[in-house]
Amino acid sequence: MASTSTITRRSLLGAAGLAGAAGTVATWPRLTGADIPGRGEDMLTVLILGTAQDAAGRQVIADAFMEEHPDIPVLIQSVQATDWGDFFAKILTMVASGTAPDVVYTATEGAQLFAERLALPLDEYIRRDADEMRDYFDDVHPSLVEAFMYKGELFQLPLDFNAANMYLNLEVLERNGLEMPDEDWTRDDYTELLRGMRGDATPYYWTNRLFGGVVPWLYVNDTSFLVEERAEGGDEFWSTFYPGQERSGGYLWTGSNATDDRVHETFEYMRQLIEEGLAVRPEQGGGNTLVGLFASGRIGTTPAGGYWVQGLAEGGMAPDQYDVQYFPKWRSQRHQFGGAGYAIMRTTDKADQAWEWIKFCASKQAMELAFPTPATTPTRRSLASDNLYTGIGPEHWARFYDTLDRFPETGPIPAPPQQAAVETALIRNVSTALSGDPDQLTGSLETLDRDLREIFTEEDA
Amino acid sequence: MSTDRSSAVLRWIFLAPTMIGIGIFVLLPIIGSLVLAFFRWDIITAPQFVGLRNFTDMATDSTVAISFLNTAIFVVFAVAAQLGVAMLLAVLVQSRMPSWLRVFFRSTFFFPLVLSAASVSILMRYLFNESYGVINWALSLIGIPAVPWLTSTQWAMVVVIAVYVWQNFGFSFLLFIGGLGSIPQEIYEAGAIDGATGWKKFQRITLPLVSPTLLVASVMGIISALQVFDQPYVLTRGGPGDSTRTVVMVIYESAFRELEFGRASAIGLVLMIAIMLITAIQFRLARRFVFYQ
Repeated sequence: MASTSTITRRSLLGAAGLAGAAGTVATWPRLTGADIPGRGEDMLTVLILGTAQDAAGRQVIADAFMEEHPDIPVLIQSVQATDWGDFFAKILTMVASGTAPDVVYTATEGAQLFAERLALPLDEYIRRDADEMRDYFDDVHPSLVEAFMYKGELFQLPLDFNAANMYLNLEVLERNGLEMPDEDWTRDDYTELLRGMRGDATPYYWTNRLFGGVVPWLYVNDTSFLVEERAEGGDEFWSTFYPGQERSGGYLWTGSNATDDRVHETFEYMRQLIEEGLAVRPEQGGGNTLVGLFASGRIGTTPAGGYWVQGLAEGGMAPDQYDVQYFPKWRSQRHQFGGAGYAIMRTTDKADQAWEWIKFCASKQAMELAFPTPATTPTRRSLASDNLYTGIGPEHWARFYDTLDRFPETGPIPAPPQQAAVETALIRNVSTALSGDPDQLTGSLETLDRDLREIFTEEDA
Repeated sequence: MSTDRSSAVLRWIFLAPTMIGIGIFVLLPIIGSLVLAFFRWDIITAPQFVGLRNFTDMATDSTVAISFLNTAIFVVFAVAAQLGVAMLLAVLVQSRMPSWLRVFFRSTFFFPLVLSAASVSILMRYLFNESYGVINWALSLIGIPAVPWLTSTQWAMVVVIAVYVWQNFGFSFLLFIGGLGSIPQEIYEAGAIDGATGWKKFQRITLPLVSPTLLVASVMGIISALQVFDQPYVLTRGGPGDSTRTVVMVIYESAFRELEFGRASAIGLVLMIAIMLITAIQFRLARRFVFYQ
């Protein structure tokens, strides 16, 4: 005789309710976000762009800092993003949701956005700890510092940078019977070099973005797509740390310069390179693909900074298979660079602790920990040395830093506070300007001019 | 009476979790977005009421206009290709073949749908690279010069549509397999007696009887295509120029790059209304063209 057990509706509902309550209790830390490391604890939160592995990689710096400052616990957090613009947007959403970090590692692309809206100036701290800071400023080129000054105030201490130099694949040169060019080579020399390798490898590979796109060419042609001015101020800082230097209170990009004749001339040169099959059409993206293509001898030349050395080594390229040269001369040989450093958020209630972190990270000890491999160029000249490059870097690795000395007019990526919109407008119009005939180029520059004017007008409004 | 009341309470208890979920995760964001469309907000500073300015600005914004045009072109060609390919393959797979082969084809055609759109697009970006892509390499073997798939305004949209269709036709395919399977065999047999074969059989029997499925597939296909983002974003970032910039890309860029959340909400609202209108028109037309057994 089969026995049947019945579950009443009431007991079923009761069990379901109990299960729901138990589930809620069990997952409460996740539901409320209380299990996020550091949440609710009184820690100095430092945000970087990168993966969890990148954050773990910087833990060594945090550990060294906490050894020196046991009263300031530090939490390194990472945010993954496709580019700096994406990273800044995510930081802003953190600010809006009330979970802003205390310190953010940000690049030139966001320096003025942070200075204008998010970050605290460092001047008072620097003035207070001037004696301690002298060692840092003695070791760092003033051009790098000036790039992080905004309207006379300094917002970040740059820790690493990269100038857009020209990488040359020596195997491609050798295959085509070409010589490594001299330091004072010109744009015409460069064009001839590209012609010499046509049909064998892609002569010039570049990506459509603010760093390494059209901007280095605009700079060597002594122009830019934005009107560039210098702010007043910072005199006390410069006279204290860099006496005798004629420096400003920072860069200002105030409007469109897209219809300037030299901009047109620069774009036309690049358009002709593409038309002649000497350069690839502008494609947007990062440099990940490039490393493999360059290392396998399929690219002749490409603009990049010191950050590429480690990537090429990991891609199996020996130091004698490539070399680096300054960007070719046109009307000038002004280079473009981008840097990065920590900024203190205005929303923090731990500004003093944040300054201690920034000061520590700018020390030689911390920078040695931060940059153990040539995956970027340290801003301290003493660290961009044999120790970093011997056995892994190209023959002329010294050019990464020497660019700043040799071409003192070298300047940062043009990145006003509305950088994201400016970059979008530039990328969009570069791709059409360089993909068609001269008429299309002129039209695209006019559109770029219109887009930029709208961006700057909106900002004024 | 008391039983009625307790059943009503029970009904609400069962409905509550779903209603609360929809309220929090669907209705509130829609209302929030609707309100935000009348403000200027950059996250950092307090929202500023601007009335209809976001909408009037949109009317004169050439990027928004181009993005709507691009999206319309995308929807027409992508949905037509998606339904056409799915229907063709579904009919072929339903025809006489060993059952293991049928299972193989069903799984294979559905497989791209479970992949991440971003991963697929990254892979396709390599395949379609002008200088180093496998596709141009294959074309070069038969003497065709390199095609600038992703860097020319003529080809970029074609590639975006092709990648989207490749990844998404599996869903419509699966719907059609179900629809075709539900058509009684007797109708085909009766049609065969009347002399219906090949195209005529498809036109007169299959298509009308599968039309309810076709309606569902087209409604879902159009709604999904109107919101396309991943493929153009990863493949071309909307370029060259604005040639593959879609409405959702402009919404994303307005909000998360230019910090114009009000503008983004206004565009999103217009897109939502467009989707509702198109869907309503589809259902209206269905009265004339869809045949229910």
